[in-house]
Amino acid sequence: MKLVRNLLWLVACVMLLVSAPAAFAQEKTGSKAGFTLKPGTVRIVLMRPTIRVGSQSAGGVITPNAEWSANAREYIAKALKAQQDKLGNVVVDYDEGVTKDGAVVTQYSNLFGALADSVIEYQFFPGNRLPTKKRKGSFEWSLGNGLANLDSLKGADYALFINTYDGYGSAGRKMLQLFAAMGGISVISGVHWGHAGLIDLKTGELVWLNADRQMGGDLRTEDGAVKRVEQLLKGFPGQAAPAAPAAAPAAPAAASTATEASK
Amino acid sequence: MSFCRRFSAVLPGIAALALAGAAHAVEPAAPVLPTYTAAYQPQTKDERGIWMEADEDERVLRDSVLLMRDEGLNAYVRQVLCREVGEDRCRSVRLYIVEVPQFNASMAPNGTMRVWTGLLLRVQNEAELASVLGHEFAHFELRHSLAGIKARRDAASLAAWIGVLSAGAANIGTGGAGNGSTLQLAVLGNYFKFSREQETAADLLGLQYMAKSPYDPAAASQIWQSIMAEADARSVARGLKPGREYKAAFFGTHPPSPERAAYLKAEADKLGKRGELRAQEYREAIRPFLPRLLAAQIRSNDFGGSEYLLQTLSATEGWTGDLLFARGELFRQRGNPRDLVTAADLFRDAIAKGYANPEAHRELGLSLMRGGQEADGKAALREYLKLKPDANDGNVIKMLVGS
Amino acid sequence: MMKNAFAAVCAVSLLSAGAASANSLVAPGAHSGVAKSSIATTSTGEWNKLSRTDGPGVEVWTRDGDSLNKVSFFGGIGGGLPIYRERNKKEAPLPKVTANMLLPDIPVLLESTYRSQYQVNKFSLESQDIVTIEGKQAIRFTYSFVRSDDEVERKGEAIGSIVKGKLFMVTYEAPAIYFFDKDLQDFRKMAETLKF
Repeated sequence: MKLVRNLLWLVACVMLLVSAPAAFAQEKTGSKAGFTLKPGTVRIVLMRPTIRVGSQSAGGVITPNAEWSANAREYIAKALKAQQDKLGNVVVDYDEGVTKDGAVVTQYSNLFGALADSVIEYQFFPGNRLPTKKRKGSFEWSLGNGLANLDSLKGADYALFINTYDGYGSAGRKMLQLFAAMGGISVISGVHWGHAGLIDLKTGELVWLNADRQMGGDLRTEDGAVKRVEQLLKGFPGQAAPAAPAAAPAAPAAASTATEASK
Repeated sequence: MSFCRRFSAVLPGIAALALAGAAHAVEPAAPVLPTYTAAYQPQTKDERGIWMEADEDERVLRDSVLLMRDEGLNAYVRQVLCREVGEDRCRSVRLYIVEVPQFNASMAPNGTMRVWTGLLLRVQNEAELASVLGHEFAHFELRHSLAGIKARRDAASLAAWIGVLSAGAANIGTGGAGNGSTLQLAVLGNYFKFSREQETAADLLGLQYMAKSPYDPAAASQIWQSIMAEADARSVARGLKPGREYKAAFFGTHPPSPERAAYLKAEADKLGKRGELRAQEYREAIRPFLPRLLAAQIRSNDFGGSEYLLQTLSATEGWTGDLLFARGELFRQRGNPRDLVTAADLFRDAIAKGYANPEAHRELGLSLMRGGQEADGKAALREYLKLKPDANDGNVIKMLVGS
Repeated sequence: MMKNAFAAVCAVSLLSAGAASANSLVAPGAHSGVAKSSIATTSTGEWNKLSRTDGPGVEVWTRDGDSLNKVSFFGGIGGGLPIYRERNKKEAPLPKVTANMLLPDIPVLLESTYRSQYQVNKFSLESQDIVTIEGKQAIRFTYSFVRSDDEVERKGEAIGSIVKGKLFMVTYEAPAIYFFDKDLQDFRKMAETLKF
């Protein structure tokens, strides 16, 4: 009797494990239905990127590391500069200038982080997708049209927001991961989030988002940062297509989201 | 960087004392401050990176909704810092007061100093505030966040950060439900883990500032004692063992703080100087903000720690209306039957002492009604409505009064 | 022994996999038994009910994710209990509901809970009023707050009451920029049809 019950547990458990990976298969890109951007037609403002790098303890707590963040900021800035010319449209860095927009823009930036995170959690994860986000091939997310009123963004058509949050697994975390894996539990060592999103400044709509919680590229190294930036901007709308081979899979990725979302 | 987790152990401390040559044993000495080099610029690539990071954090901090922007308060705290470290040094600092109710201050290598409101509530006088700010400035002057960058590949552990204030844990983040939360620290401050030697060096340089300042060096030790006492009060009220928040045994690698308080006292005594505390001046300057600071503390669900703080605050200038009111709130919120009786007494006391805030009548009324004393309760609530006819909760209170 | 180990592993797997699969649609119309309680309401427009729960007596509805818009139903939290599951009973205990709470105590309980649970260091209670729900009086209040983890300014509107010594409450919270106003009217309609 006992044996049977144990077996039942085992079977139940295996079933769960088999079904689990499906729930974790995740999309990384989305764009508003029908959104396109022609090269050389618009002006895009790159908002100040939020970059945080730290280490993750066994308990999962991430402690920021100023040195890593500093390096990452420098590497990313460099990589972004290198990419900026390849984005197909004029991309300029945000400048508050003499406006007093700083505090409001900071709020928008914080809000963008919450929005992008919500897209990952409630649209990109198929298993956790909100029922209302499953329909009509829809990708409907917005920050509202308040950005249009900001003087510091006058003359621009789109705002590009970029966030990265990285926590590198400590030895303790990796140990926990290993241990948990033996028990069949998935513990992720390290957190590597990235958001890159394009907001239409007239409507506030999120027209394109590239976001993932397991990004590649070790931001503690310069090469890693280049890889991360490429990944963040992969499929960036309006990109002149043929330049780099990396740009090739961009369009299918966006399209696949649309099909995924429409079923 | 963060002050609340600095506890240098006594042994390396004393060793470093000898090395630093700051204290000339028993004889009172006029310590010589090293010449201050203003406007230090980052030299190496690593330093430039840390600087850039600090600049970016400051940009976000400047726009944060958590800043206390009151000019008078900012000017006052700055003035205390300047008295402590001298005008020359003070000029390198841009000071920001951040609304977080825990005990902490920190300074980034680019000259950004963050002072949490919980620190302002906890220090008893200018001298204590000065000692904390001076200690932070010493880390800055000694460029500790830059020294040994290479050696410190890993950031501070959570245990190191928690330090004496587990209540502060709420602001560390839980790494839970999966948002990037724990990394949102531009405002709260970044993390630098200092070695014991660095802590000791900062303590010693801090005492040298104190020696030259008008302030009493004994304050440096005093603040640690009250922080430990508060931690004990909190633990006891929560049915936990006192000392667990700050003793080495609990946090393993973490140096204990009782020793630190002790050696700070010993070193201060050697200076043979009695300076000013300026407790009265401090109370006057903080008074307009006290209700706000107290309210945040009272609503942090920390009965023991809050009660300890109120007792300590009352030691300076007696039970003022603000303090009585806050204490009444503390008891009313816990809400046991006997607490409601105590709360009502405290609100009555506050009113008797001329506390003009109409809320005292509101809280008195609510305490009485919740304790079953309907008639008296309603009378107090009616008084509140009379004193504050346009109260934003007028309808709610009228309903309770039954009119 | 073995069995327990398996049970534990399975339970955890269930939590991680199960939680990721069951957000459900809340169609427009009448709903009862919300938060496994006597709460009933009629919604306009579609909402999503999160499978994740923040406590045994809590149910969360959202349109775009709970950090962008969040309606929380607290279905009769009894005396001596916190409104959320405590993440650290020892070090960060939450305030508890008490059976003799008065209506003005409800916003204070919410604030105090948020300060402990959500790193909220700034909370301001903006207005309070009385509404009637099925002949029973309830407090309706508005507030704003900032969580230190994302520093997004949020606004909230809530209705709460003590019924037979238990706390019933519905809150609506969203970022002050754009989101709060976007779904406020739909929340208010829900609030108008609320039954505790």
